Amino acid sequence: MMLRYLFFAAALCSATAVGAQTVTFGASVQLTGPVANTGRYYKDAYEFAIDKINAAGGVKVGAQQQKIALKLLDNQSDVNLSVRQYTQLLTQDKVNFLLGPFASNFVLADSSIAEKSSVPMVQGGGASDEIYARGYKYIFGTLPPATDYFGSTIEAMQKLNPAPKTVALLYADDSFDVSVAKGTRDLLKKAGLKTVLDERYSTNATDFSVLLSQIKSNNADAVLVAGHETEVLNFIRQAKSLNVSPKFYSFTVGVPSEDFRKALGKDANGASGMTAWLPSTSLKDKWFGDAEQFAKAYKAKFGYDPDYHAAAGVAAVEALVNAIEAAGSLDANKVRDALAKTNFESVYGRIAFNEKGQINLPQIMIQIQNDKVVPIYAGKGFENKLEYPLPPWDKRQ
Amino acid sequence: MSLLAQVLVSGVLLGGLYALMALGLALVWGVLNIVNLSHGALIMLGAYVTYFLFTGAHLDPFIALPITAVVLFVVGYVIERGILNYVIRGPMFNTLLITFGIEVVLTYLAQLAFSADFRAINPSYAGANFALAGVTIPLVQVVVFAVAIGLTIAMWLFLLHTRIGRGIRASAQNLVAARLYGVDPKRIYALTFGIGSALAGVTGGLYGTVSQINPYIGGPLTAKSFAIAIIGGLDNPLGVIVGGLVLGVVESLTALYFGSTYRDVASFGVLLLVLILRPKGLLGRTT
Repeated sequence: MMLRYLFFAAALCSATAVGAQTVTFGASVQLTGPVANTGRYYKDAYEFAIDKINAAGGVKVGAQQQKIALKLLDNQSDVNLSVRQYTQLLTQDKVNFLLGPFASNFVLADSSIAEKSSVPMVQGGGASDEIYARGYKYIFGTLPPATDYFGSTIEAMQKLNPAPKTVALLYADDSFDVSVAKGTRDLLKKAGLKTVLDERYSTNATDFSVLLSQIKSNNADAVLVAGHETEVLNFIRQAKSLNVSPKFYSFTVGVPSEDFRKALGKDANGASGMTAWLPSTSLKDKWFGDAEQFAKAYKAKFGYDPDYHAAAGVAAVEALVNAIEAAGSLDANKVRDALAKTNFESVYGRIAFNEKGQINLPQIMIQIQNDKVVPIYAGKGFENKLEYPLPPWDKRQ
Repeated sequence: MSLLAQVLVSGVLLGGLYALMALGLALVWGVLNIVNLSHGALIMLGAYVTYFLFTGAHLDPFIALPITAVVLFVVGYVIERGILNYVIRGPMFNTLLITFGIEVVLTYLAQLAFSADFRAINPSYAGANFALAGVTIPLVQVVVFAVAIGLTIAMWLFLLHTRIGRGIRASAQNLVAARLYGVDPKRIYALTFGIGSALAGVTGGLYGTVSQINPYIGGPLTAKSFAIAIIGGLDNPLGVIVGGLVLGVVESLTALYFGSTYRDVASFGVLLLVLILRPKGLLGRTT
């Protein structure tokens, strides 16, 4: 009699155990290789978000609470490997949904796999317009358009006194930076600024002496650089050693990240940049409280301050979870439709995608002052004073 | 300031760094016939050693350079005695493969040990410069240039006038005869590779002061060193100076007149021209 009850109880338990399914998100991220220093932010962000959501009960699929599992692979900063890994995630591991890699050129290639298999991918790593120019329906991105990266910066530049008149535009030859340059050219023309130098350089360039000499000889008031962190680091160091000190310079990468500022030390001061996200208390979130609490908890866990890459990664996870709950199912097409209608406040800001699948958030212009990132301008007024014009190198502290 | 003058000066100084980069590779290649694909990884290791001596022990990078050289000498000696010695008399393809494997292992060990964060060796004088005839000259790059020329000439004198140097050249020319004269090939090979690695280490320390360090800087540096060594010619250690200067100046002028995006086209274009017209390199013997 006891045995029969025991059997029945055991069967019931195992039935519920089988019933508690998990939703699996798959991603291939650069954990090693030349772009690993930014790629690893995505692993940390995805894990952080998923752990937090699971701790709060997981994702509600219809009537059932399910936990989220993450299958993360290291693509060693190799685009071809990342494509193979996304294929593996879909065909062998049979994950439910996909999270993206870092970098536009990776997203460009990997998103085609997702689209072909009709599986939604939400990515926070690629901003290039090329990603969204193909009419794909299953790809959504939490990084705002590359063409607008310098938007708020150029707006702010026009409000400075005396306003810079001549601009040098430098950009690397990869998908994201070429997109940024294309958009920036239009913005500069509309703002009536004169472009005295418009130069493309090879990705991973280490020597900027010629470009810097040209900037000095053309007397550019402002320098805008769209490139990668290693290039920007070399640019700033060589600007110092060649005594090239434009009144203003702004970079698409590096400025928001901690290890960049650490590597440059005091030489980082004065550099401007932009970020779509700052850890402010005004960004409220269902799971994290607000962005400031999120940043504190993140730093406590991983030992470094999160920047917009990490926040965009967390936003990607939240967007997927939100869409699954809205769709009430794990059906790829239902979730895809729910993603298209996404509209909610999160630790990253308002997550909503335009008809091409890209988020639209304004870039906040920032500047490094006294080793700290200071928000300067976000479209309304100057939140803090911009250090401008930058003093020549020998006069800086 | 004449833009052309400034660009030429930058090109020459860049050439100095290039020459130093290629010196270790050219020595090992010219003498031991080993194409060391892990050369860039050794430069990377040297950069990290100097970086940690600078940040950990607060040693000025230029004072840390000799220590870095000794550390990398030991690393190179061990690699040669422990691994390369077994394939050194075999087909060259085997050494290519093994040194490639060493490069991969060293790079990933560095990633594990140091993470992908960039570092930069940033002494107080890192950005120092002086003006001469309207041209701004970065101090550290001048020193790099001087170190490059100095070490290359020292290497040349070492190979020509010291007993060990003659032993190295003898082993390269005719191993049997050298052994009859009492040269121990195992020791000589390991010594040469050690010297090549020490030179790579010094390059790394200086590179970290003018650029930045991460575990992946090795690959492109090996490729560049390769090109410079071929352009200059392997027969004469002074060849790397010529190769480095030619490349530095050609790249800079290309960037100025055609655009920065064509730099690599220009450098590998020069390489192709040299291979077609003077395959032994600009300083190589034509017979």
